[in-house]
Order: sequence, then C-alpha cells, then structure tokens
Amino acid sequence: MSEELPEIPLIRVDTLWSEPTASWRVLKPVIDPGKCRKCWLCVDFCPEGVISKSEEGPVIDYRFCKGCGVCANECPTKAISMVREV
Amino acid sequence: MGKLTLLSGNKAVAYGVKLSRVQVVSAYPITPQTPIVEYIAEFVAKGELKAEYVHPEGEHSAIGAALAAAIGGARSFTATCSQGFGYGFEVIAQAPAYRAPFLMAVANRTLGWYWALASDYSDTMTARDLGWIQYYVEGCQECLDAVIQLYRIAEDERVLLPAMMCLDGFHISHSSEPVNIPDQAEVDEFLPPRKVYDHTTDPDSEGYVFPVLPAPLHTPYRRMFEEVLHRAKGVIKEVTKEFGERFGREYGLIEEYRVEGADHLLITMGSMTTAAKRAVDEARSEGVKVGLIRVAFYRPFPAEEIREVIEREGIASVGVVDRAVAHGTRMGPLGLDVLSVLYNINGRVPVTNFIAGMGGDDVSVSDFRGMIGKLIKGSCASGGCVRTVYVEHKPPQMRGSVEFKDTVYAPGCQLCAGCGATLVTRHVLRVIGKRSVIVFPPNCVSAAVAMHFPSNWIGVPCVLANYAATGAYARGLLRAYRVRGKRGVKVVAFAGDGCTADIGLQSLSSAAECGEPILWITYDNEAYMNTGIQRSGTTPAKAWTTTTPVGTVWRGKREFPKDLISIMIAHRVPYIATASPAFLRDMEAKLRRAIGIVERGEGLAYIHIHSPCPTGWRFPESKTVEVARLAVLTGAWPLLEVDHGVFRLTVKPSKLKPLKEYVGMQGRFAHLSDDDIKEVEAALESNWRRLLELHGKKLF
Repeated sequence: MSEELPEIPLIRVDTLWSEPTASWRVLKPVIDPGKCRKCWLCVDFCPEGVISKSEEGPVIDYRFCKGCGVCANECPTKAISMVREV
Repeated sequence: MGKLTLLSGNKAVAYGVKLSRVQVVSAYPITPQTPIVEYIAEFVAKGELKAEYVHPEGEHSAIGAALAAAIGGARSFTATCSQGFGYGFEVIAQAPAYRAPFLMAVANRTLGWYWALASDYSDTMTARDLGWIQYYVEGCQECLDAVIQLYRIAEDERVLLPAMMCLDGFHISHSSEPVNIPDQAEVDEFLPPRKVYDHTTDPDSEGYVFPVLPAPLHTPYRRMFEEVLHRAKGVIKEVTKEFGERFGREYGLIEEYRVEGADHLLITMGSMTTAAKRAVDEARSEGVKVGLIRVAFYRPFPAEEIREVIEREGIASVGVVDRAVAHGTRMGPLGLDVLSVLYNINGRVPVTNFIAGMGGDDVSVSDFRGMIGKLIKGSCASGGCVRTVYVEHKPPQMRGSVEFKDTVYAPGCQLCAGCGATLVTRHVLRVIGKRSVIVFPPNCVSAAVAMHFPSNWIGVPCVLANYAATGAYARGLLRAYRVRGKRGVKVVAFAGDGCTADIGLQSLSSAAECGEPILWITYDNEAYMNTGIQRSGTTPAKAWTTTTPVGTVWRGKREFPKDLISIMIAHRVPYIATASPAFLRDMEAKLRRAIGIVERGEGLAYIHIHSPCPTGWRFPESKTVEVARLAVLTGAWPLLEVDHGVFRLTVKPSKLKPLKEYVGMQGRFAHLSDDDIKEVEAALESNWRRLLELHGKKLF
C-alpha cells in the first residue's frame, strides 16, 4: 500500500485488548471459602466470564467484574456477598 | 404567548408535531432520532395528541406508511436518519411524485460506509437532488418552529412537496436549550388543518396520481417539478415572514450574521453555525471584517440570496464549510453549490471549501478561527481560485491496556452490568469456537463490538451487516468459503429480536427456504434495546416500552408476540430450538446439535435464545438468570426443539409456576392488574397444553 494512502484499520483476532471495567462497580462480590462447595455455578453464570476455577475455589478477576451480583444471587450456599466498595 | 422550558432538539420536534396536530405518525427506532417518536408515543398514550401511531418493521415501511398516509389525505410525520434513511431511500425518491406533502425529521448521522452515531450530512445529502424541501436547523427552538412552518409550506397549494427537517444528531437532537412552546391556539391560527386536494387518493376523489410516466413526459415533468420547487422559495419567504410576525422569531431561506461591510464570508449549515458565529464575533472584535451566512433551506437552494449578499458587500473571499464530501469532486456538496452561485459574479471570488465535522467530530470556535485565518492569509486570494481544506483532529489513544491471546472472548465489553446478552454471547462463542465468522446486524452486542475499536472482545472475525440483509451477508460469506475450499468455517448470524422478527425477517426467510447452512442465533431481549427499549415484534403482550408507553389511552403493547418458532417450522429447516441462559447445558447441547447440522450442509439451523435485559425490563441486574429461569418455569419461555421435524420439549416442568412470580419482578409489567396477568397466564397455559400435545410428534 502506498505511503500516502491511509492504512485500513485491521482488527486483530489473535490478540484482543480490553480496558478494565472495575470502575463501573458499586458492590463487590466477596466469596466466603468456608461456605463455597465448588459447584462452579458462579463461573457459568457470570455474564462477563470473569470468575475462573482454581483448587481453592472460584477466583474473581476484579479488573473486569462490573459488580452485577448475578453470582451472589445464583450461589446455592450463599457463599458470595456483595460488599459496598464506594 | 407560550411557555419557556428546557427542551432537547428531539423533544422540541415532538412538541412541534403535537402542536401541528399531526394525524398519522409512523416510525422505526434509530439513534439519534428515536426520542422524537418516543416523546410522540408518550403524547398519544396520554391522550395529549390524537394521532394514529404505526409501528412498522423497518424504515422502508415506516417512511412508506407516512407517505401513504399523506397520499390518503392525512397530515403525517416520520423520522429517521443514517442507515434507516438509506434503507428507506427508495420511498424517499418516490415521494415527491405523489405531490402528497408530509414531514420527515432527520436527526443527521453518518451514513455508513464506516459507521458512527453522530452527525454529518452524508445521509440527507444523498437526497438533496430528489425534489424534497430540505431545511437544516441550528438549534432546539428552531426544531419546534421549523416543524410548524414546514407543514404550512409543504401543504401550500403552490408547493405540495414532501419536506425534510434536518437536525444534527446529538449536537442538536440530544442537547437542551430554552425553548418557547407556543400556545395551541396560536399555532392553530397559523397552521390550518390539512386540506384534502383533488388528487388525494380515496374512492371519492376526482382522480389519483399513479407515479409512472411514458419516457417523453419524464423530461418535462422534471422541469415542472424543478419549477415548483423554485416557486416554493416565494412561499417560504411569505410563511417565514408571517411566522416571524406572529411568534417573534423569523427565519428566512438564509440567515445573515454580521455581513455588513464584510470582506470575508463564511457559509455554514446546521449546529456548527453557533460556534462559527462566536468565531466571527471574536474576529470582528479584533477588527477582522468577516461575516457569515447560514443556509437554512438547502433545497430549494438559495442561490440568488447568497449571490445578493456577496455582491452587495463586495466579499473578497468565501469559505464554505461542509459537513459532507461529494467524493470524486474534491469538494463538499455545499461548496459545489456555492461555486455555481459565484460563476455569474464579475471578478470571481476565491473560494475555500472546508470539510469538517465528519462522523460527528466537533467543530470548535478555534477551528473556525483557523478557517477565518486561512481566508485572510491563504494562498487562495486571487479570483478563480478554488481549494479544499480538511479540518482534521488527532484521535485519542483508544486501545485497551489488558491483552488477551488466542481466545474467542475477552471481558471488558461495554454492555450493561448483568446483561443477559453478554452471558449468551460468551457461551455461544465458547461453543462455536475459533473457526467461525459472525455476521452482526446492528444490535447491542455489535454496538459493543464497535465501541471496542480498534480492538474487539470477540476473538473471531465479525462482519457488520445491514439490518435487513443479515441473512444475505451470511449467504455471501458461506458461498465465498465454499468456492475457496475453506472447510469447517461456521457462518453464524447473531441477531437480536428486532432483526429476526421485524426488519430482517425476509432475508432470514429466504436463507431458510433456500437451505443455506447458516447458524442463525437470535438473542431475544424482547424489544429494541440498542436504541433504548422500543417495541419489537417479540415484545410480550402488555409490556411497557418507550413506544408502547402506559397512559390513559395506551396500557403497554396491545398485541401478543410474533411466534418465530412456528414461522421457522413453516420453513421446514432441519433444526429449530429455543434456549435460555438459565439452562446452559440445554443451550450447549442445542448449539452442538445445530453446528453438526450446518457443518453437514443440511440447511439452516435456528436457535432462539432468551436474553433478559435488566435495563429494559426494569429488574435488578443481579436477577438476570433468575428472571430467565422463571420465564421457563412459568411457560413464558418454553424450551423446545424441532429436530428434522420432530418436536420435543427439552425442559418439562410438571406444573407451571404462577406467572405473577415472573412478571412481578419486572418494572415493564408494573402497571398490570391481576386480571391482566390472568389473561396472559391463560394464553401461556393454553400454549403450554398445545406444546405438550406436540411433544414427540413429527411436524414435517
């Protein structure tokens, strides 16, 4: 492509870039490991997909959690509480 | 004397429509026009405006119904912009032939090409040569005043042409200013009821216009229509003068601003004029002799009026500011029009054509100071010189800071917290995997893709389809991969309910009937959520939306939703299913079954997924999955599949839960009485019994 012509902006598929959405949050989900039975429903139902599995239980990526509270609402053992952070 | 209040441009248009006692309103949602028709819906719902309100399936029909209402003798109104304007273009082109006056408000927005949400004139400029009256307002008061005046002008016996009122998207449509709302009686005196002319089409009329002509009549008709449009200038002058006398606000074909004794002249249109005027004021205070003309009526073009100012003031250089490009001419459309004006002036005036504000880019006072500077000092000082200058700004750094490698999905999209569509999208992506291409019509999810520019949160290629052609885009891609021998590429149409049930239904129907192996996913949030909660073909009965508001006259949507599953059954496609994000295993199994079917080339697979929307349905964002689950358990969203004609309920509660548990959680149903709920519940129960009977049966 000639240098004077603008490059068509190509959107990459192999690498994605996102900006954290943590600042959207008013309430923060906090997991009580004592109550968690590792059913992983929170992992499935988190709309954002920011909860992952680990040996110790679910891990929340707070950089991208928007604080919707679906995880806490769906948790069958009430192991997740929504804590005000602002 | 009216009352002074703070109104957005869109709301001012709606008040203009109400005061003009418009009888038929027909419109389809599109940003940034939508609030106009939402406010009008409110007026109708509350009984403040007695008008017929049409909810068509797309702009082609929305503009068509408004035109036809005018052909039938009613005062009618529609509003659109951008892609909707493009989709309705065929109707727009035909409208003048009927000599049936009506008004279309256009909240100007870029016509994609590359899409944007805010204003430039690439949409309405495509219609500048079709014989419409085109008016571009500068502010919110003018929105209201222009509606009333344009009905008077368009309906005048000497005119009888459609009129387009253009207000800059967001810059005017969503900005608020103090606006005087005149008294109804004052407006009634100025604007009499719509006359019914001899050529109004009804069985009692003298005759009617059928817009077809033999070839030898086309040239003379073009000449005659051109004469009519130019004659309209006289009517415009009369009407704007009378309006000024009655209401104290006079607008003409053009507005002259500080042109007395000017050496240099800026010519502008629309909202940017306000910033240009401030720049003129600043320059004047420094002794620079600069003035401004704002072109209010762009069609008919005020050539004589502009020429008169240039000759009277002995203008030495002209700067024309265009918010559009006439590609292939190196100029903007207004620049070209002004050039034609200057041709007849002795000792030709040099012209600088500034192209600015494309895609809604702000054009600031300092930008205009720069333009004025170029007029004074520029190289284009001698007669006959024409040049074009692009007013460009540096974009901000846009790429997000967190990197994700080789994934189909990354978090961080701009969809609302608790969004059902986000949950649906991410699971669909997980199942379809990397060897997929997604065809997106406009919807919340594709808007979130657009907002992520210059990256994406979806790790497969996405194609932005025009709304009504979604099925066709999928077909074209599929055929390309076939001829290129690309195996195992899944073409997935990811459409909302508005696309599937309304504007995109015929392209889906055609793809289904032709057996195209496409995976069509509908995520159904039961309204146009991307434009802000307008009624769609799948909105449930009695639900509040912004175009089916609750008032003394209206009580939410009157009709039951369109049954897409039955429509797909009628197409005999190999796989049809509903799914819910509350039943993820069920959804995943259906997606896998559908993928197998399209990969084997058996035909189109259709999956219709419920997608609760906390914002539009008005429930707390933590309840998204709970609401989805209750929809299934109350029979509001039965989970079923039709696999090669065999019908099966995939989740079969032994007894349906009371509907109140589901609707009671949602603000959109807050106005429902117990009887209302019972009525809907009875319909759902009867549907459930029908589905139980079908269970296990072969339907085709």
